[in-house]
Amino acid sequence: MIQAAIAAGAGLIVFYLVVKALDLDLGYGFLSGPAGFNFSNQWLTNYDSNDSRLGAYGVGILNTVRLVAIGIVMTTVLGVLAGIARLSDNWLVSRVAMVYVETIRNTPLLIQIVIWYTVVLLQLPRIAEAINVFDVFYLSNRALALPYVSTGGNFGPWLIIVVVGAVAAIVLRSWLRRREERAGGTQHATAWALALFAVVSVVTFFLTGTPLEPDTPSLEISEVGLLSIIGGLQVSPEFAAVLLGLVIYTGAFIAEIVRSGIQALPRGQDEAAAALGLSGYQRMTLIILPQALRVIIPPLTNQYLNLTKNSSLAVAIAYPEIIWVGKTMINNIGHAVPLFVLIFATYLSLSLAISVVMNTFNRRVQLAGR
Amino acid sequence: MTLADTKRHSSDTGAARGWLSKNLFSSPSNSVLTVVVGSFLFFVLYAAVKFIFFDADWTIISVNKRLIFLGRYPQGEEWRVWPPLWLVFGLGGLSYGLLARASRRDLVWLGVILAFILGFLAHGGVGLLFGGATLFAIAAYRVGRMAEDRPRLRSRLRRAVIVGWLVLIPFTVVMIAAFGGVRPALWGGLLLNVLLAIVGIGVGLPLGILLALARASSLPVLKAVSTAIIEVTRGGPLVAWLFISRFVLPAFLPDWLQVDPIISAMFIVSLFTGAYVAEIVRGGLQSVDPGQSEAAHALGLNTFNVTLFIVLPQAIRAVIPALISQMIALWKDTTLFTILGFTDALGGAEAAFSQTEFIGRQKEALLFIALLFWSGSLGMSRLSQRFEKVLGIGER
Repeated sequence: MIQAAIAAGAGLIVFYLVVKALDLDLGYGFLSGPAGFNFSNQWLTNYDSNDSRLGAYGVGILNTVRLVAIGIVMTTVLGVLAGIARLSDNWLVSRVAMVYVETIRNTPLLIQIVIWYTVVLLQLPRIAEAINVFDVFYLSNRALALPYVSTGGNFGPWLIIVVVGAVAAIVLRSWLRRREERAGGTQHATAWALALFAVVSVVTFFLTGTPLEPDTPSLEISEVGLLSIIGGLQVSPEFAAVLLGLVIYTGAFIAEIVRSGIQALPRGQDEAAAALGLSGYQRMTLIILPQALRVIIPPLTNQYLNLTKNSSLAVAIAYPEIIWVGKTMINNIGHAVPLFVLIFATYLSLSLAISVVMNTFNRRVQLAGR
Repeated sequence: MTLADTKRHSSDTGAARGWLSKNLFSSPSNSVLTVVVGSFLFFVLYAAVKFIFFDADWTIISVNKRLIFLGRYPQGEEWRVWPPLWLVFGLGGLSYGLLARASRRDLVWLGVILAFILGFLAHGGVGLLFGGATLFAIAAYRVGRMAEDRPRLRSRLRRAVIVGWLVLIPFTVVMIAAFGGVRPALWGGLLLNVLLAIVGIGVGLPLGILLALARASSLPVLKAVSTAIIEVTRGGPLVAWLFISRFVLPAFLPDWLQVDPIISAMFIVSLFTGAYVAEIVRGGLQSVDPGQSEAAHALGLNTFNVTLFIVLPQAIRAVIPALISQMIALWKDTTLFTILGFTDALGGAEAAFSQTEFIGRQKEALLFIALLFWSGSLGMSRLSQRFEKVLGIGER
């Protein structure tokens, strides 16, 4: 009885929504039309405003993915360091880490992003007076230029050799590990593998005639007579502000996760390792962290998903990620419903990809111990 | 004289040196770390003190107080805000008094925040009303403490507190909006953030509990519907949902339901909070031993009573810390309404530093509202720790 009533109610609501939706144009045909707007940030593509809306949405996806991918790597490093620092024997270090966590975690992320953007990055000098750090970094309110590498002639072949070298190194390492387990003692598996990889990539690097060249930015006068920064990796202040905000904010949460993960281990683990004569660094990397990972990974995955969703706050300072693209298209031509379905599908795929990777990692960590 | 005796008789400087060598200079690498971090800290503190006391020009805040706290709220209607605020102060003091004796640390924090507000923001009539509210809270706290060893008074006060918190939201909304009050479109500033947070948790919490119960139910249709609502809602970021409330919702609502954009945004925020609360409560429901409900059924209680009086109280007690973190997240997320163009506290600050006479004063405005939100979040997380201690969560 109750079931039927609920089903009928839900059915009525769905029916109403469908009837309403039929008035709207739900197709995706509009995506093939020309987009008609430009991007302040582009990456890996040479999109221009005559390209289709689908292409514009693709640029938006790339912008989101770039933010999330770089953000996850950086925030993990920061969070793990801060989490370990909170448990440091050094009173000053643990206090600084605590203040970091308590201030950042309790302040809205949007305010932090706006502070990074309007107070820090937009207050940098104009390009003509860009702050020059050792002739390799240029900081201005239009772009932050960092040294980078550009690809030379034989980059393709060299890349293939490097990949083969990496595979060979992994095979070598697991073979040495097996020998280690059979024969006992240590075979320095990781060191040998790294050495193999280094030799292969460095030797072929010179044989193929420097496929990668350092690309340092420089301040030059362009054809139109304006000073501009040329070369290097140029980062827009919008991207930098969102990235800094996301990394520092999420790092504070990860620090707490790492801290509680380490504290969940019995103290005896650390003491026993110390009694065996391991150094502080060895205890942390060989004994404590591998065990703590089991507790850390599930909530860590959650934080990665939060970071992915929080990347949408970039729309507040007009960094062109998917929500910004969607909003711009809706302002131009409408089609809000199909666009939001597309946006949700994009976030869902990103979240699923992160979950799948982290769950695989999690399973390996869990198996290793038991 | 043994070693222990020497230690005991050593002077204060000796103790300080011992503390330093144990905590800051225990090894060469530790000493290097101390020096590096110490000089960094010194630099930061120096810059902060220099900025706050010498370089900053805080007139942007004192001139734009109204914009930051009330937004475009009409002049002459401020009196509507005070009764709910007094109610919150009184209930807060009473709840604290009933729960526990105030710790010195909490008192110091509260004192600092109140002194800050009184000295910086509240002058004249506002100062009197605010000071009165503070005294009211202290009196309510005393009453709560007095009830400690009077069980009957205590249970009566408890009931009053619970009813009070439940009445708070409708009371606030009626006070502000009803009887020729202020239209939602004119709600703004920190008042808007507070209202959004209160409505979000006030509607989201019961909604979330219902969704969690539906998801845990044995009726497949109910379960499927609530699971779908929860997962779709959690699938996208709040920003996307806010844009949906702006661009999509109006097309789907019948004319008689077309409401103010703030109301439809409040509806969306409540749904969003509800979905997250549902997942938290679901965890709590799973932590309750099935034997509890079996035993209650055996005693002859019906399903409704078992859920309401046996399962839910235990489930919610177990997840109070997570619920309070969700409240803190909601409190911080209320700033996202700036993106939709509402003048909340962040929007007010942005409006303030775009005035010509305050160009270049972004720092002061943004740091000030960051401090407002920070103190709110910190207060809630301290409250959560106190709750955990009083209820003995995590101890068996």
